[in-house]
Amino acid sequence: MRAVTDEQLILWVANGDSSCLATLFERHHRGVYQFCLTMTRQRALSEDLVQDVFLKLLKNAKVFRNDGSFKAWMFNIARNVTLDHLRKVKRQNNLPLHLAGEDENLNNPVSAEQVAAGSQKMQQVLHVLAQLPAAVQEVIWLGRFEFDNYAELGQALACNEGTARVRMHRAMALLNSTYTRLHGAPVDD
Amino acid sequence: MTDSKFPELLEGSGDAETQLWKTLGEAEFEQPSARLRQEFYKNLEQASKPGVVAKLRNVLGFSGNAGWLTAAACVLVGVGAGVGAGHLDPATSADTGRLEALEQNVSLLHRSLVLDRLQNEQPGKRLRGVIDAAHLVQDDAAIASKLLQLAASDRVNSIRSAAVESLGSQLSSPAVGAQLMNMLGNTESPLVQLALIDVVLRNGSDEQIDQLLTLATDEQLYPDLQRHVLTTLERI
Repeated sequence: MRAVTDEQLILWVANGDSSCLATLFERHHRGVYQFCLTMTRQRALSEDLVQDVFLKLLKNAKVFRNDGSFKAWMFNIARNVTLDHLRKVKRQNNLPLHLAGEDENLNNPVSAEQVAAGSQKMQQVLHVLAQLPAAVQEVIWLGRFEFDNYAELGQALACNEGTARVRMHRAMALLNSTYTRLHGAPVDD
Repeated sequence: MTDSKFPELLEGSGDAETQLWKTLGEAEFEQPSARLRQEFYKNLEQASKPGVVAKLRNVLGFSGNAGWLTAAACVLVGVGAGVGAGHLDPATSADTGRLEALEQNVSLLHRSLVLDRLQNEQPGKRLRGVIDAAHLVQDDAAIASKLLQLAASDRVNSIRSAAVESLGSQLSSPAVGAQLMNMLGNTESPLVQLALIDVVLRNGSDEQIDQLLTLATDEQLYPDLQRHVLTTLERI
């Protein structure tokens, strides 16, 4: 159990104690980085986006309303920062949103160790996920790795619980149909 | 990551989607580089530079020693008034929480500093990091792994032997113990071998001491160190 909640820490940040942001950074920067990396597929850019997210948290700490989860609010900011960037690149290069500015050498955002250890199926799933629209990627990634309930997922995605549920079901159905088209039906290993 | 997340999704979905959901959960994603943390603390420091309130404090004369005395006196009066009014408890509990958060920040910063030093190019800083890491190695797998790496392959032998010393308390951990024992018979540096022998004699299990004895009797240690081991074990 954590001695101090995220919500309490951001309130202290809002009251002028910016050092509390360091604790929030240590708790959440990996998750935010991995979200940005999944969406942008560029390491250095993802690190810059994480900085932007935490600077926005610092600037907007007073805006945080204590009636929801801090983490959902933070991922909502991360999502806006990332999507803004992807839209900007798309405008500049006229590319589909989900292909805007990929690292050529970053086929998937898993660690090198895991690629070496090689679960082929997992890499195929991640590869298929990377080809789906950004709106699908974000709902699957946030649902799978960050949130335990649709209420918080909805808060992160700026929609209500019911919409989050529908988006998740549709996203999983699309992942399944795309995967099946490319690799055949996913079966138990 | 558990598969119990979103049980509704798993119940309402077909086998294929459940399978994809499980497969995704096995992914371990890439970690950010050390640059991210360094940049963040640099940005945070810049953002926390004295603002309008601090400037106002200067104008009102609350800065400097005299200012601190005035401020301390105000705090004492405030606390006294708080006790008198019976409102101290909520404030104390909030302060305790804040103190805990600050302590957590300090330990996180200390850990980052040690990890940075362990990777520093300058041997002196690396050695400093190795010595400081001895206090953290017990609860921190990343630091233990970095120390093992230094113990096995740092270009400076004194850093390697210091890393062995710092890992000494972890000899009973299966992963660390196995690697240190493996290093014992294979190291080409007598200094590192001596550090390993000392650690095993001090903290080793019966099985590890037997392994050490076998290495000494099979003449796989440096001759002087072999004699040292045999003499010490005879005395024990």
